[in-house]
Amino acid sequence: MEGKVRIGFYALTSCYGCQLRFAMMDEILQLLPNAEIVCWYMLDRDSSEDEPVDIAFIEGSVSTEEEVELVKKIRENAKIVVAVGACATQGGVQSWEKDKSLEELWKAVYGDGKVKFEPKMAEPLENYIKVDYRIYGCPPEKKDFIYAIGTFLVGSWPEDIDYPVCLECRLKGNTCILIEKGEPCLGPITRAGCDARCPSYGIACIGCRGAIGYDVAWFDSLARTFKEKGLTKEEILERMKIFNAHNPKLEEMVDKVFQFQGVKE
Amino acid sequence: MKNLYLPITVDHIARVEGKGGVEIVVGDDGVKEVKLNIIEGPRFFEAITIGKKLDEALAVYPRICSFCSAAHKLTAVEAAEKAVGFEVREEIQALREVLYIGDMIESHALHLYLLVLPDYMGYSNPLKMLDKYKKEINIALDLKNLGSWMMDELGARAIHQENVVMGGFGKLPDKTTLEKMKKRLQEALPLAEYTFELFSKLEQYEEVEGPIIHMAVRPRGDVYGIYGDAISVSDGFEFPSEGYKKHMVERVVEHSFAKHSFYNGEKPFMTGAISRVVNHADKLYGRAKELYESHKDLLRPTNPFANNLAQALELVYFMERGIDLIDEALAKWPIRPRDEVDVKDGFGVSTTEAPRGILVYALEVKDGRVAYADIITPTAFNLAMMEVHVRMMAEKHYNDDPERLKLLAEMVVRAYDPCISCSVHVARL
Repeated sequence: MEGKVRIGFYALTSCYGCQLRFAMMDEILQLLPNAEIVCWYMLDRDSSEDEPVDIAFIEGSVSTEEEVELVKKIRENAKIVVAVGACATQGGVQSWEKDKSLEELWKAVYGDGKVKFEPKMAEPLENYIKVDYRIYGCPPEKKDFIYAIGTFLVGSWPEDIDYPVCLECRLKGNTCILIEKGEPCLGPITRAGCDARCPSYGIACIGCRGAIGYDVAWFDSLARTFKEKGLTKEEILERMKIFNAHNPKLEEMVDKVFQFQGVKE
Repeated sequence: MKNLYLPITVDHIARVEGKGGVEIVVGDDGVKEVKLNIIEGPRFFEAITIGKKLDEALAVYPRICSFCSAAHKLTAVEAAEKAVGFEVREEIQALREVLYIGDMIESHALHLYLLVLPDYMGYSNPLKMLDKYKKEINIALDLKNLGSWMMDELGARAIHQENVVMGGFGKLPDKTTLEKMKKRLQEALPLAEYTFELFSKLEQYEEVEGPIIHMAVRPRGDVYGIYGDAISVSDGFEFPSEGYKKHMVERVVEHSFAKHSFYNGEKPFMTGAISRVVNHADKLYGRAKELYESHKDLLRPTNPFANNLAQALELVYFMERGIDLIDEALAKWPIRPRDEVDVKDGFGVSTTEAPRGILVYALEVKDGRVAYADIITPTAFNLAMMEVHVRMMAEKHYNDDPERLKLLAEMVVRAYDPCISCSVHVARL
């Protein structure tokens, strides 16, 4: 890439945590000689979504009709689109109740009140535009950003992670929260890269980096373990859906565990 | 023939958390309408957590906002503990408050230096200030790094702190880390004082001068702080936190995904650092008390811009307070991080002071699940008052260059340090 790389940071509906994580990196200052930040409303008044950029980082889920248009515009103006964080890649926690109707949720919160914008159920970016790369996490780790930007700057592509949090957790020598403590840890199906942050504090993983891709997230196997520990199908689905409500494999694989009892019970 | 006026609009206010805009409509007789448009999508946090397991809901609530995720986590967990009838040990409470202070330091430093200061120095973006204001940017980074490190150590992460659970913490940092935290707070005190001095010299626009009703949580133990069980109003009234619905009444407005709140159903009110100072300055101590006494005229209750200086004062205060709370915890060392909590049915309300003002969590627990949830955030409380102040500014400047008016209107909004993502999670009616 010649000259400075043009970067844009955009937000749809979210908690702004991915941008905050990005803004909290002192490394941004080292980036400035090589990159120009063209759009970043959180930090810059001169931001515009109409400017062309080399890399567009987008956080947040598509949650209004206006955001559908916005995300298409950003795609048109960008060479590389990076979905950042759980909302952009998986729809975010606001998708947890995706099977309830929008009307039902609206009524619970706003009653008969009306606003002039068009809400919709939260969805990940890829339901509307082509996404070139994903940075996972709620929020992502600092090293995720550094690795992604670093590889883009040398003209290469960051590699995806295809192994679970469990692997990092075992390497750290933690006590297993699932097997030894009996808590519903989602480590076995969740994409690694956080260095098993929560289990290292004795907290069961809630899956914020999303299920491992390439169909290697064994929802069924983990569901079977959860079932043996006494969890119902609904409880298993609820937990797995906190960050995976839009995963196409999830329900099918959990269903299998409850429909087919297996040869050995 | 009538003149034709176009609305003066800022589609997307920059340098605030979340997405919102300002619309000012001018007619022949002056300013006709002022609207803060909250355009961030609705997030239904209460609705999506109802019927869910308590611990899972508690993991999700902080995701309402990143700038104050520790505030959300700690308030939600306290509401849940109150609901099930559990009280944490004093030393755990002290360390939770230290974590909360980490959030306060980070949030105030970010707001003051990166979001507010560029307007005063004539820049669109803090990174552009580096050549001329390297010292200020470095202080911003040092303070922000201190706050986020405190949250990393006590919360497992600077954003969305999973380490806080009912009954205490998953794991506590070791003694040396806490001693180091104390030392770093002591070392950062001069930076906080520098910040106070810097912000005491910035203009507070007299266009928006006028009476304001301030609300703040009455701190427990009568020491200026974050946790409390009653709300004090600057008119002298005080009510227990459980009565929040009666005195802080919410309404849906059609131009916003966030509702507006009114004191006793009628009057807009303000909450935030300046409201805490106005209502509870008598409970300050140490260096912050001295600074308050010598700068009372600037920390006045009649101007929303005083909120910036009040945040700077709090940087000083909360550093000293943090040191004292760490000492309190160290005196009881070694500390057991967590107690078993028996999850019984019940209802609990927690009110705390988030960096930008009163945060309310009301939770009902039934069979280990969330049966009812009501969350009201400071920005939602402030929106009606914010509109009043933007209107006051517009009434004085509607004949100016529209770019100038836009900047001034944005500055009013920024003085409130709004957290727009917070405000659109939205409460049940």
